[in-house]
Amino acid sequence: MTETGRRRATFTALALALPVAMLVACAVGSVPLPLAPVLRFLAGAESGLTPAGETILGTVRVPRVLLAALVGGALAMVGAALQAVFRNPMADAGLLGVGGGAALGAVIAVRFGWASEVFLALPAAAFAGALAAVLLVYALAGLIGRSSLAGLLLTGLAVSALAGAGTSVLLVATEEFRVKTVLFWLAGGLEGRSWTHVGLCAVLVAVGGALLLLLARPLDVLSLGDEEAASLGLPVRAARLGVLGTAALLAGAATAMAGSVPFVGLVAPHALRPLVGPAARRLLPASFLGGALLVVVADLAARSFSDRVDLPLGALTALVGAPYFLVALRHAPERG
Amino acid sequence: MSDAPPRLEACGLSVARGGCDVVRGVDLALRPGEAVALVGPNAAGKSTLVRALAGLLPASAGEIRFEGVALRALPRGRLARGLALVAPDEGGADAFTVEERVALGRYPYCGPFRALGADDRRAISRALERTGVAHLAARRVGTLSAGERQLAALARGLAQEPRVLLLDEPAAHLDVGHQLALFAALDEVRRSGVAVLAVVHDLPRAAAWAERMLLVARGGVAAQGAPETVLTSDACQQAFGVRLRAHRVAGLAQPLYSVEP
Repeated sequence: MTETGRRRATFTALALALPVAMLVACAVGSVPLPLAPVLRFLAGAESGLTPAGETILGTVRVPRVLLAALVGGALAMVGAALQAVFRNPMADAGLLGVGGGAALGAVIAVRFGWASEVFLALPAAAFAGALAAVLLVYALAGLIGRSSLAGLLLTGLAVSALAGAGTSVLLVATEEFRVKTVLFWLAGGLEGRSWTHVGLCAVLVAVGGALLLLLARPLDVLSLGDEEAASLGLPVRAARLGVLGTAALLAGAATAMAGSVPFVGLVAPHALRPLVGPAARRLLPASFLGGALLVVVADLAARSFSDRVDLPLGALTALVGAPYFLVALRHAPERG
Repeated sequence: MSDAPPRLEACGLSVARGGCDVVRGVDLALRPGEAVALVGPNAAGKSTLVRALAGLLPASAGEIRFEGVALRALPRGRLARGLALVAPDEGGADAFTVEERVALGRYPYCGPFRALGADDRRAISRALERTGVAHLAARRVGTLSAGERQLAALARGLAQEPRVLLLDEPAAHLDVGHQLALFAALDEVRRSGVAVLAVVHDLPRAAAWAERMLLVARGGVAAQGAPETVLTSDACQQAFGVRLRAHRVAGLAQPLYSVEP
């Protein structure tokens, strides 16, 4: 198959599979709903479902499925962008301290009781924590004179460890009945999210996604290496800061809504790059679709695994993602 | 052509890296259509000098002028439309096809938003042909041999349609066939009026290709002139710690060199 043909086939398959998966995810659950009435309900027509069925669909399943798609899409785009900036197909938002910062923010919100008193205090704190961690990584790397890629990676490691320390100290100092809230959130999941969550996430993902797409060509140039990019006239630092800032916004939004959902940012772009090529203007939208599909399916699996309790979404993506990562690592060229 | 005004000129250029001057007081001028080889022992400051000439490292003293304009005062984008640097591949382009990689050489003309036009397409296909990698256009860079990869990097530089082409060890890791192809491509580029300066490790190869040779040792220019004169000079013996002798052989245009302790 030609390069163009393969690209078209991939986009077509993703664009068909995502809505189908979302539709199935709306129908399947502890109260199964037949597909045809669900479709009629989504189209705004007379569905023929019971009022209880319509309530479940309208207030629980549809927002949950939409949020899953947004979270997965955002994380996958972040992965694609960071892999270009760091010239490493194994790069992920975790490198920049996003996960660590978000966890610390969430624990702070719970420990001091804001999470139970103020609506959306937990995601807001997690979002702030994620952004603060990335800013800290970038500022510290500059301050110690290590704004190279390796310097950023190592600073990200240090800031993540620091945030982890803060998280465990606060967790120990948190009343037992509140600890479960944090643990639930840390494990990653989409249980009990509302339309407000969907709206907020949609706005942030739309803004961040549009910004990344505007940066598509600079991203391609950046992926050649700092030196070659600079020799092509690209203001390397400004472009990198723009990409990292946008990635922090997207990853922060996704993590604030769903907690830790690991490996999506790694698996989706990695699997799609051979099919659509590395050029950001194609890889970013393809990754959005692929990541969305991945998390919609993972969330569906997480809640249909057992009748009594939802498995943590993050555990499920890790269960699939970690072996994939190891296999990919085996086939990745070793570079010194 | 040698009395044309220099395209790229350095006066008293010093470049600091890690707090001390790695390049000290270098004067050089590159004129249209010139082929200049930069040789010197390891850690002499060759790569630093080339990067400074490309505007990637700031001068700690002295000045660089591109077509009469101080490099400091020249916007990056404008410089990239006149000067290209080809350094060893940093490995980030593996998933691109050769054509996509070469097309990125048009970034100085297109910027972030403008789509590739007819001029850009022409420059890309010309660069692919000149470097002899047109038949690899649809291949992924990661599947190429080291030699083909280096030719693709050169093609990216040519797609920039530069008037000055700087190369840092373009022939490193190349087998003899690919070396010949690369220097033949450089010769054609030079004949079209581009000033070409290349860091070359292989001294006989450098002597065979260049019209003028610059010997860099301990950050300064230790000797310059015709390749044979430079290579057999005392300065060259001091720099490398070995003596090179040129031997004229009937039927060969270039002398052969022997290395003695």
